[in-house]
Amino acid sequence: MPVAVPELMPALPEIFLASAAMALIMFGAFRGEDSTRTVSWLAVLALVVAAIAVPVVTQSRVTTFAGLFVTDAFAVFMKELILLGSALAIIMSMGFNEREKIARFEYPILFLFATLGMMLMVSANDLIALYLGIELQSLSLYVLAAFRRDTVRSSEAGLKYFVLGALSSGMLLYGCSMIYGFTGTTRFDVLAAMFAGVDGAEVSVGLIIGLVFLVAGLAFKVAAVPFHMWIPDVYEGAPTPVTAFFAAAPKIAAMALFIRVLIGPFGDLADQWRQIIIFISIASMILGALAAINQTNIKRLMAYSAIGHVGYALVGLAAGGEIGVRGVLIYMAIYLAMVLGTFCCILCMRVHGRMVEGIDDLAGLSKTHPMVALALAIFMFSMSGIPPLAGFFAKIYVFFAAIQAGLYTLAVIGVLSSVVAAFYYLRIVKLMYFDEPVEAFDRPIERGMGVILAGTGVFTLFFFAYPGPVLNSAAAAAAALFAG
Amino acid sequence: MIVQALTFYLFAGITVAAGVMVVSARNPVHSVLFLILAFLNSAGLFVLMGAEFLAMVLVVVYVGAVAVLFLFVVMMLDINFVELRQGFLQYLPIGGLIGLILLVELVLVIGAWVVAPDAAATIAEPMPAPERMTNTHALGLILYTRYVYLFQIAGLILLVAMVGAIVLTLRGREGVRKQRIAAQVRGRREERVELKKVPTRGGI
Amino acid sequence: MIYVAVVLLPLAGAAIAGLSGPWIRDRGAQVVSCGSVSLSALLSIFIFYDVAIGGNARVIELFTWFDSGDLKASWALKFDTLSAVMVLTVSMVSAWIHIYAIGYMAGDPGIPRFFAYLNLFTFFMLILVTAENFLQLFFGWEGVGLLSYLLIGFWYDRPAANAASIKAFIVNRVGDFGFTLGILGVFVLFGSLSFDLVFAAVPDKVGTTLNFLGMEIDALTLVCLLLFMGAMGKSAQILLHTWLPDAMEGPTPVSALIHAATMVTAGVFLVVRLSPMFEYAPIALAVVAVIGATTALVTATIGLVQNDIKRVIAYSTCSQLGYMFFAVGVSAYPAAIFHLVTHAYFKALLFLGSGSVIHALAGEQDMRKMGGMWRKLPVTYAVMWIGGLALAGVGIPFFIGFAGYYSKDIILGAAWGAHSWVGTYAFWLGIATAVLTAFYSWRLLFLTFHGSPRADARVMAQVREAPKVMTIPLGFLALGAVVSGGIAYSAFVGEGMAAFWGDSILILDSNTALLEAHQAPPWVVVLPTVMAVAGIAIAWLMYIRRPELPRRLAGRFRAVYLLLYRKWYFDEIYDRLFVFPANDLGRGFWHSGDGAVIDGVGPDGIARAALNLARRAGRLQTGYVYHYAFAMLIGVVAFVTWYLYARAG
Repeated sequence: MPVAVPELMPALPEIFLASAAMALIMFGAFRGEDSTRTVSWLAVLALVVAAIAVPVVTQSRVTTFAGLFVTDAFAVFMKELILLGSALAIIMSMGFNEREKIARFEYPILFLFATLGMMLMVSANDLIALYLGIELQSLSLYVLAAFRRDTVRSSEAGLKYFVLGALSSGMLLYGCSMIYGFTGTTRFDVLAAMFAGVDGAEVSVGLIIGLVFLVAGLAFKVAAVPFHMWIPDVYEGAPTPVTAFFAAAPKIAAMALFIRVLIGPFGDLADQWRQIIIFISIASMILGALAAINQTNIKRLMAYSAIGHVGYALVGLAAGGEIGVRGVLIYMAIYLAMVLGTFCCILCMRVHGRMVEGIDDLAGLSKTHPMVALALAIFMFSMSGIPPLAGFFAKIYVFFAAIQAGLYTLAVIGVLSSVVAAFYYLRIVKLMYFDEPVEAFDRPIERGMGVILAGTGVFTLFFFAYPGPVLNSAAAAAAALFAG
Repeated sequence: MIVQALTFYLFAGITVAAGVMVVSARNPVHSVLFLILAFLNSAGLFVLMGAEFLAMVLVVVYVGAVAVLFLFVVMMLDINFVELRQGFLQYLPIGGLIGLILLVELVLVIGAWVVAPDAAATIAEPMPAPERMTNTHALGLILYTRYVYLFQIAGLILLVAMVGAIVLTLRGREGVRKQRIAAQVRGRREERVELKKVPTRGGI
Repeated sequence: MIYVAVVLLPLAGAAIAGLSGPWIRDRGAQVVSCGSVSLSALLSIFIFYDVAIGGNARVIELFTWFDSGDLKASWALKFDTLSAVMVLTVSMVSAWIHIYAIGYMAGDPGIPRFFAYLNLFTFFMLILVTAENFLQLFFGWEGVGLLSYLLIGFWYDRPAANAASIKAFIVNRVGDFGFTLGILGVFVLFGSLSFDLVFAAVPDKVGTTLNFLGMEIDALTLVCLLLFMGAMGKSAQILLHTWLPDAMEGPTPVSALIHAATMVTAGVFLVVRLSPMFEYAPIALAVVAVIGATTALVTATIGLVQNDIKRVIAYSTCSQLGYMFFAVGVSAYPAAIFHLVTHAYFKALLFLGSGSVIHALAGEQDMRKMGGMWRKLPVTYAVMWIGGLALAGVGIPFFIGFAGYYSKDIILGAAWGAHSWVGTYAFWLGIATAVLTAFYSWRLLFLTFHGSPRADARVMAQVREAPKVMTIPLGFLALGAVVSGGIAYSAFVGEGMAAFWGDSILILDSNTALLEAHQAPPWVVVLPTVMAVAGIAIAWLMYIRRPELPRRLAGRFRAVYLLLYRKWYFDEIYDRLFVFPANDLGRGFWHSGDGAVIDGVGPDGIARAALNLARRAGRLQTGYVYHYAFAMLIGVVAFVTWYLYARAG
């Protein structure tokens, strides 16, 4: 039986990335441990090439591999963010890993596989493809979390992540199987066609329960309350650059998948899933704001901050529609810049060659490292949503979407919780600028780190002056999702 | 027909019972043995459905490899399981309650099974008639064509698992002398041989 | 390209001088920032020729800024005659002041910071004057406000400077509040923020009413008044003028650049730019004229008795801005801009001249401790005379005069030519102000340079003429103060007026004040000059001829003197009306409210509750995997239950 070879072109960046990762394994294995830096830069190069290839191969919405894989403007936007986040995270890792003696060539390769998994998630057009993408990503992340295998905390982080991740995968699979059982298909476009114009109240309850399980599994990946419990421990335990990576790219991929699944096949059941999204959004915003207040470890603080930010982004998803999705996309793009910049600052927290993670260690930073303090202050102000910084616009767009959708409660709770959250962001600024310095951090900052810090800082500070590219591409991406 | 039904209930019943025993057995070795029992009965269920390939794979891979590996690990690790189980009773009531609620709800859901009206059309033909082609043949036909994408990702996942296992456990131990053939072959005369002029009657 | 460069060069200069200060050192920062602004000034001459003389008005779209829903805005540079004139003035004056500052700030520890601020200020000012929409205008507006705040408080270790910078900021906030409301009003009314679209739609909107505070008000008038409120704050018009004299705590080049030549005139520029709106809102125009004329007189009277040399000039600035506003109020926009330009030169000159005096006296600003310095500071003395003559508007009627002569003359002529009660009011107040202006200018000159030295002998011995880097800018500005009026007269307000301004300013045919001004009878033309000369004569009489006279007058008319000396008690009234009540209110709330209520349930209570919740939330995080797993399971079960329940119910 002759079989047509599937169209490979739309998946070219993914195929390239997979090949590059495997080639780098061979390279690393033959060259040994001293090749880590080379492998790292080659991995960055591979990501850059993929980032260039992504928009080139996607002119319009295309599916391939028997409809399992889809690429469109939405996928391009999300993949670009993911690739950017991964590439920057690798660059941020190099110096850290060498200092901490965990520089091994497998590290960037696991990054590549994780990134590949995320891209597959974004492009998933089928429940099985979705699941496999998640697994590829998660498995790489489990290993990365435990990468500093000689410390208990890192191993513990990896193990906890693994066990809970397996549980969430179980839920997700259970949800998928129920959906399959009640509809007879795993294909997104078939599902979408099936539900087109159907009144949500008439759909079988089993399907809704399946959807609940599916959403629970996805909510674990974005760390929304009540599926967030892993995130503080994992953030704290994992090596800091890995934490930076966790905070950036996987969040974006999981959010992309969330949007892809809920808007695509289940878009017409919005009334059904909206309730659950509203709930986890509110719970995340509130918990993210409250629980962070008492933290003393900055990585734990960032974990709760991430929970809060996911809550805000979900506000946009709850609002739904093109405007809501656009809000989420803008939010994630800005969040990426803020969080990477913040972690750059955290990676600078080194005293006598040893990493420190206490928030109090930041005291008086403005006197010892004025530029780092300025950058961190910008990120903190931006995260708390103070105009005219980028974070303000991120929040504005999702809240406007919520108001337009009539979800006033959600918008009000969002504003209130961001006021509470401002407390701990501003506390950091206060510590840096008004308290007496403790021990100064080591100098100098690595060059790559300085460049990332400056880039993200400038983006955050001057987003208001030229928001056009982000806004327009986010709008185009959101439109593409609703066109098909 | 009746034989088939009886066999089904036999296999299914044993599978469930074995599953319960896996969690409740006191001795972990027994747990693993019950797991193997559950696998074997599941394989039986597959055979009943005519999926003989899956049944064989289950026996060969899960029973033959995975479960036996489990058994070795459990037997070799010295874990005090009594200690691990101490919290078990403490959480049993609430855990049981949650489990019960979930069970009841799922039964309710399954009870109200309404397959979407046009679902039947979308379900692919479950399996070709045995006289037309074998199970293995049928799987092979779609696994490498229609589902090649999923097949490849699964391969990548296994690769990542392998890399991860090596990264997390492999240690280049100090003081171990290994034969490094490449280094041996690369070795040059100047590095290996040192010529010393030995004076007569002087010793070295 | 050149057009964009003019605006962006100062920004680049600021970035380099500000961010690489430690590497390029003081000298590098000075070179970079002066170089960038000077280049910008040279290019602006070209632009002026191309746009204003050649008539090539254009809008350069840089890129889209916002495009969300109805709100569309671009970054765009609008170059018409009005903005070309402003760009030329701003960049020219700014360039000379930059150079002057090299000498004035020598030895200060914060030189790179200072020059970066100055550059950044110039950038924002250029953005402001070339704005193509309200949003961009607002961006520049707030930018110059911010830099003004930073520069007034440049010597942040002086408490007075800090207080002054905060005062400037807060008073401007009051104005900006109106300004923001005005912009919102424009958006509500016109659905756009682009100048072209708004201006085109103005005639259709005449007569539209808006409900404001329960009253039906003519929408256009309301919007114009709100916008004018912003202009009042920025241009220090009466009621909102109190910040400007205090702002003199900043370094003198800052006073010259921001608080004389450029930023404070932004309010005038705003109203002129919005002439197509104000022309259709006659009530708003009348308000502008009355406020302007009143400011001119009141602040001039305060200037009569002040002893701080920079404060005298600051009050004079308020007063001159008043002139510009009442010119605007009688639809004589070109006259206002004309005066704005000449004023920029001679007032910057006066400030820099007084800066030179202060520099020579090692920071002394009190005129009672000066005197007799004309021999020691001949250049400064000469340029101060020129500045004074230009400010007083001295000239030979119908023949020739200093810059201020032309511009003030045409303004007064226009006020007379308006033939309305507003115009008449403005005219007579303007005439009265002319006397006062001449008087305080020469009081300043006589007190500073003539008479016997009242400073320490030791200080006097140190007095030396400023270095070349300071005197050369003085010379050039003096040149501007002498000739700018005569050169620009015919184009700005004379026969070439209509051709020169083109579409950039709209004057309805019914508003003929400026045309009438040229037909004014001789006495109207001669009167200002006579008044100026009279003022000079009185000053001479009181401070040279009979120096004991002022004290006796002050004794005789003690109430009047105190009223003036205390600046009409504006600060005291504001303190009584706003500051003290606010303090009392605050203290009252603090004692009774805060202690009892707020600590219990308000922010403190909420804060405590939040902390409490935070602790609980933290306690949930036990670290046991099975607890976490349990939480997830409970979550799922809860959701499933919820849906089943919702379905069943």
